[in-house]
Amino acid sequence: MSQTHVDFAIVGATPQARLLAGLLAGTHGRTVLLQGESHAGYGLPRHLDLSVGAITRPQTWALLGDTVPEVHRLATRIGKRGAASRLDPLVLARSAAGQAALGHVRHMTSAFGLAAEPYRGKALPGGTAGVLLRDAILLQLTSAEAAVDDWLQRQGVLRLAQDESLTIHADGSGLARHADTEVAVGQTILADDLALLAHLTPAQWPELFVRQAASTVLTGPVAPLAAPVLHDLDTGLWVQQQAGGALVAFGPGATGTTARHLAALIGEDHRFEQAGQSDYGRIATRDGAPAVGRLGGTGADVLAGFGSIGAFLAPAVARWLCGAATPDEAAWMGAHLVNRRRDDASPSVRDLGAAA
Amino acid sequence: MMAQPARLDAAKAGAFSGAAIDRSRPLQFRLDGRIIAGFAGDTLLSAVLAAGIDTAGQRDDGPLALTERFAPAIVPASRGRGPQRPLAMARTPAQDGADYVTIGPDDSRLRSGRLARLLRPARSLGLRLDAQHGLPMPWRTLPGAAGPHAELIVVGGGVAGMAAALAGAKAGLSVIVLESAPVLGGHSRLFGTLDGEDTPDATISRMRDEIAASDAITVMCHAEVFAARTGIVRAHITTVDDGIVSASVVDLTARAIVLATGTVERLPIFAGNRLPGTVGTLEAFALAHHYAVWPGRSAVFATGSNAAYRLAMLANDAGVDTRRIIDSRPRPQSRFIEFSRAYGITQTTGSIIAAAQPARGGPGLDLLPQLTTGGALQDGALGAERLVLCGGWQPELTLWHMAGGASQWEAEPARLAPLGQVDGIVLAGSAAGWLSRQACLDSGTDAVAQLLDHKRVAIAERLLDPIYETPDAPTPVAAADAGPAPAFLDGGQRLSRRAPPEPKGMLSRLVRRGRPAATAMLEPLAVADVAARVQLGQVPPISAGVVARERVAMVTIGREDAPSATTDTAAPLVPDFLAGRFGPSPTLWTLASPDGRQFDVGALLQPDQDQRDPFAAIGVVVRADREMAIALVAEGYGEVGRVLGLRENGRSTPVHLVSAYGAASDAALG
Repeated sequence: MSQTHVDFAIVGATPQARLLAGLLAGTHGRTVLLQGESHAGYGLPRHLDLSVGAITRPQTWALLGDTVPEVHRLATRIGKRGAASRLDPLVLARSAAGQAALGHVRHMTSAFGLAAEPYRGKALPGGTAGVLLRDAILLQLTSAEAAVDDWLQRQGVLRLAQDESLTIHADGSGLARHADTEVAVGQTILADDLALLAHLTPAQWPELFVRQAASTVLTGPVAPLAAPVLHDLDTGLWVQQQAGGALVAFGPGATGTTARHLAALIGEDHRFEQAGQSDYGRIATRDGAPAVGRLGGTGADVLAGFGSIGAFLAPAVARWLCGAATPDEAAWMGAHLVNRRRDDASPSVRDLGAAA
Repeated sequence: MMAQPARLDAAKAGAFSGAAIDRSRPLQFRLDGRIIAGFAGDTLLSAVLAAGIDTAGQRDDGPLALTERFAPAIVPASRGRGPQRPLAMARTPAQDGADYVTIGPDDSRLRSGRLARLLRPARSLGLRLDAQHGLPMPWRTLPGAAGPHAELIVVGGGVAGMAAALAGAKAGLSVIVLESAPVLGGHSRLFGTLDGEDTPDATISRMRDEIAASDAITVMCHAEVFAARTGIVRAHITTVDDGIVSASVVDLTARAIVLATGTVERLPIFAGNRLPGTVGTLEAFALAHHYAVWPGRSAVFATGSNAAYRLAMLANDAGVDTRRIIDSRPRPQSRFIEFSRAYGITQTTGSIIAAAQPARGGPGLDLLPQLTTGGALQDGALGAERLVLCGGWQPELTLWHMAGGASQWEAEPARLAPLGQVDGIVLAGSAAGWLSRQACLDSGTDAVAQLLDHKRVAIAERLLDPIYETPDAPTPVAAADAGPAPAFLDGGQRLSRRAPPEPKGMLSRLVRRGRPAATAMLEPLAVADVAARVQLGQVPPISAGVVARERVAMVTIGREDAPSATTDTAAPLVPDFLAGRFGPSPTLWTLASPDGRQFDVGALLQPDQDQRDPFAAIGVVVRADREMAIALVAEGYGEVGRVLGLRENGRSTPVHLVSAYGAASDAALG
């Protein structure tokens, strides 16, 4: 059996994981092994890749301000025009706490030069307030998987099949077996929830992480919604309306919960027939903010809790992993380390998070 | 009143004289204002098809055939249109004097009007079918009324389901059998008999008698189960009471459930595969056997399965001009093939239908056959009034997937097969993947043994050696550009289509550049749609099981999730996500502006009016009403009368701090 070595092994199938792999290999010249099925997109979506989110921290908006144009250019280079589109997501809330959070999101978004305005239309159920985040970018890399695969190949990313073994050592290094070759891995990165749930042992489970039941519901066609993408701060539900009118809704809880949340969000005027569903587990962070860095400070690297913006922060994460981060990027990553604790003296990074 | 041009002559029809109808009891009813004649024992659908109506309606890309799997829901005309008490055409017994209207995707009120009747093509129900989601099935959205409880529910009354019901009764269980057809028996008659076996009729007849004699078994026909999970099923059940047909949605409960749901007949994939005049082998057989309905005087059969040969011979016996059997297998062998040759039926092997289109200048279809290798056939195009299609068999796993069951792609028979177990639910018969009648019977008995944790029943397929009986071929797939009509992936209520071929012109290609791949389109997929997409390379085989389970159109019944958290919780004055934003020890202050303006929650406070940088903000408005606002202010800036800049909508406004905020003020603010 022959032996070889790679700098990084990335486990994950999300656009964030795949972009990170390509950037580490292509832009930063690292040797990269990626384990993650490229046909993950055939299942029902479990997240959206949006350039905006329910974010209240200025540091995160500032970081996005730097990386969004970079990722937009990269995505359109990889998958042409179909890989990204512009739209106006609508963030919603009914509860008093949710509507207050909506105000903070709107003003912070505006403070960074992005148009965010209260929704004045009549397409929402009574008592629901909304904020339109104008001109956001939606990545559609799962529909351009073949193009992403080609790009990964051009960047020199090696692929490890799902049924090939990858052993992760306590120090984050690893050993993969690919065909007749043993591949020594310098550092492993668990880059999406599926990878984390598959590889994290109870002993490694960070205090920051919460395992969460989540689900996706696909509906038959319904009349046009108030916006092509909705996000409910009260329930953590995301809804995307497809070209034919079908809705994809995902959020915390089993499919019954997601269907109920969806029905409440879109109101009586948009009755739907359930046309697909999927239950799965995911990871939320206790403080609602993203998490990066090494487990216990010395183990595998993780990426978690990024919600909709993960793919758009991939270039910053890649630079940080290669020691090429800007001071602002390094500060953001340093504040978002996975081993942060509630009783830390360092400033809080608490945010609304994927589940609000 | 319409005649019955598609009804076979009783004197000449042989086995297709109509086992379910009583020709001595004619009847007539109205559908969308049109008077249809039939016989006692007909369903609405069989009578409509017998009347020569073979078209459900029109899409932008052409007409669609009216079939058992693609027929609109109906409601009694006296109730008006809408979702009230909808009925299924194939499960509604025809009653003399009844009056119904169809429910189409657009629910147009004009279909039964006088003008519409004049303009409507004679062969069509006149539905507009452009909606992507196909025909509505209104009962799917109705709540289920509490129905009866049994110790065992058997879904499906074919031979496997009947065997399961009898095994359950023998084990002392109370049993309910739910069957969507008017009678028990299923489709095994089509598949004939092996040496040493009873005939299918003898087997079915014996089991029906045993079931009828059992006090423990309740049979509900005209009952379609459309949702299932452990312990409960939901069914749309049609009943006739004093000559009045009605339907209800009922939840039935049982600790054990057998799903003997049979198979879905796959649709060969070619342009025009759902044009009026096309029909599946199972449906063609059932219509002819039960109701003596066979539209068209001539027929071509396109198959990769031996069952179609038997149907062709029976049709030939009934006086149908069976012009040709086109078989996708290169050198098929079967006892049925030998017999059909003796009948003089022309057989073309190693060939498929590449495209069909409405016949020019007459009823029926013009067909373009081709070699499976892609080459043209020497004798070229042919035509027939009916095209009978058999693309093989896919276990019907819809309810299994709804109940949480898994499946996986099997490459050799090219089908999704069930995988794993579901608590309290077992598959039986051809739904479990069995093919022969004896295996299906044993599987029904074994399903009950599994559920009761009894000694299992050994099941063995009883099939002839492949040398003598060539196995079924995978569903034929023609070239995408062989014809102008759309190619559908399945024959059911959903209308999932094969993506049209890429345009050839440079300009067209440029326009299409950058569009998402068709595979990414999110739409509900029936189990046969998924199988078709695997064959077309649009879903990887490894993902087929996941896609099939995720895309099943679920109806949620039974257990409710835990209620979600209430949404009217009071907002904390300082939400968690502001922790640390303005230093370690910010304080709360009431705020006012010189012009008495109202503030927005979330508006940032800057140390002066010129400052715009959000990182320089020293506070934020956390609550506001008409009278006053409260702000969270960084330590060092809290000072009575201090003037700060409030950033809102891109503008800065001077505001001043009024007083440190205390609990009493909070109460005043509510």
